[in-house]
Amino acid sequence: MNPELKALYRDTLLKHSRDPRNKGVLKDSDAYFELKNPLCGDLITLYLKTSQKMVSKVTFEAQCCSICMASASMLTEQITQSDIKEGVDFANLLIESLSKPDISINTLESEDIQSLAGVKSFPSRIRCATLPWEAFKGAISRLR
Amino acid sequence: MTDRPIPPPIPDALKMARGDFPILKREVNGKPLVYLDNAASTQKPQSVIDAITQYYAYENSNIHRGVHLLSTEATAAYENARIKLAAYLNARDESEIVFTRGATESVNLVAHSFLEPLLSGGDEILISHMEHHANIVPWQLLCDRTGAVLKVAPILDNGDLDTEAYISLMGSRTKLAAIVHVSNAIGTVNPIERIVEAAKDKNIPTLIDAAQSIQHMKLDVQALDCDFLVFSGHKMFMPTGIGGLYGRRSRLDSMRPYQGGGDMIAHVSFDGTTYKEPPSRFEAGTPHIAGGIGLAAGIDYIESIGRDLIHDYETQLIDYAAKRLRSTTGVRLIGEPTHRSGAISFVMESAHAHDIGTILDTEGIAVRSGHHCCEPLMKRFGISATARASIALYNNHEDIDTLIESLGKVHQLFG
Repeated sequence: MNPELKALYRDTLLKHSRDPRNKGVLKDSDAYFELKNPLCGDLITLYLKTSQKMVSKVTFEAQCCSICMASASMLTEQITQSDIKEGVDFANLLIESLSKPDISINTLESEDIQSLAGVKSFPSRIRCATLPWEAFKGAISRLR
Repeated sequence: MTDRPIPPPIPDALKMARGDFPILKREVNGKPLVYLDNAASTQKPQSVIDAITQYYAYENSNIHRGVHLLSTEATAAYENARIKLAAYLNARDESEIVFTRGATESVNLVAHSFLEPLLSGGDEILISHMEHHANIVPWQLLCDRTGAVLKVAPILDNGDLDTEAYISLMGSRTKLAAIVHVSNAIGTVNPIERIVEAAKDKNIPTLIDAAQSIQHMKLDVQALDCDFLVFSGHKMFMPTGIGGLYGRRSRLDSMRPYQGGGDMIAHVSFDGTTYKEPPSRFEAGTPHIAGGIGLAAGIDYIESIGRDLIHDYETQLIDYAAKRLRSTTGVRLIGEPTHRSGAISFVMESAHAHDIGTILDTEGIAVRSGHHCCEPLMKRFGISATARASIALYNNHEDIDTLIESLGKVHQLFG
């Protein structure tokens, strides 16, 4: 297989896309945000439950590709039980490190999330990975 | 195991065609390019590229406004394109051909200049469920401006138009019946002859979106007797940014200008301005002259091969592709229309259309993944995206075989 393709579809990413964590509607959410990539039709809805300044629960529903699905799944694991501001900072850092060629994603501690770095060789797929994180920021903005 | 279908023989006139397109010699990701995204845009033959280069290198000048030789030559070359296009569509004469940027602009032109002045609140515009966004959104915007209502005829589960339903929606308040000839997303060929006939019985003007048929089959606007027909040059081996509108002359005569500016006026004064006759009335400003010249070269190219021959061969090739895809593990076709042209859409149980597109790209294969600017159609089939393979005259069964083989790799990775 093409080495860049192999780097894109790492086992970690495929594991998350085949068996996504926290997929489903969160009925008692404090905020939700629907986001669509108009270029391809990928659609994600992200649900948030917060407690004081913490994100206590994140779930999502999506009609999307494997990269978007895996990224959303990883997001729910990364953000749950984190401080709201730290979560937003993490989302910003991730979006920036995937979107800019000269910034490494390896500064992000999660090994699972580092597996998203493969999209950097496929510019048309970067948005697939960032879409859930943009939806997360959108949901946070609705809390205020 | 299903027997492999017999590939269609390539006619002699098409055997050499592949060599006419320089881009088909390049590699993509280390593999020979297999270009199956022709419904998005076709590749350009050397003769079209040469015609554009020749114009910019030796003939460049503005048109319709100079007495010097270069301007005279450029004007003749540009207007020659209009004459060729009129003959290609069998229009009554070249005044029925308006140059635009493409099918999208042509629809917008008809919406603004023809239909808007005729509409009152509650009037209806009829389209189908399989339209490209370009044949939906301009009408929605027009409905917003006028209070008119967009009526959408349903399609059947196999992707055919529900023709009876479409015709039954033609009512006393229908002011335009617009329909796509060939669906860009699923390849359905619609019975436009029957639709135009039914519309004429009720005195309803018709618009045919021919963006996906004009490069694949013969079109005769007089035999069809439609009022408008729209198309894009870049989907028929010509440059981007040039396309056209066929309009019945009596309709064009009745229409107000589209944009204001130079070249569309008869006389300008601060007391009032008068406008040129069609088609100039709808062509304000310096047009895409090189595009027009490239368009003329593109028509020459298609005609040098012959549209009947292209149509016969492509029909067999897309049928071959459908047969092979149907028997490929994990693949499901979206749309099984009675008559298909050009395009075939599919999904895989294990892999999303984008993942299919990315993996095929690493194999050198260009297909389109997404909603194909047909979101309502995708929703009708309960999906958000498909992978689409679409052919042109230079494709052959080996392209299809490479696609099928690579889909096996997708299945291996995701299945």
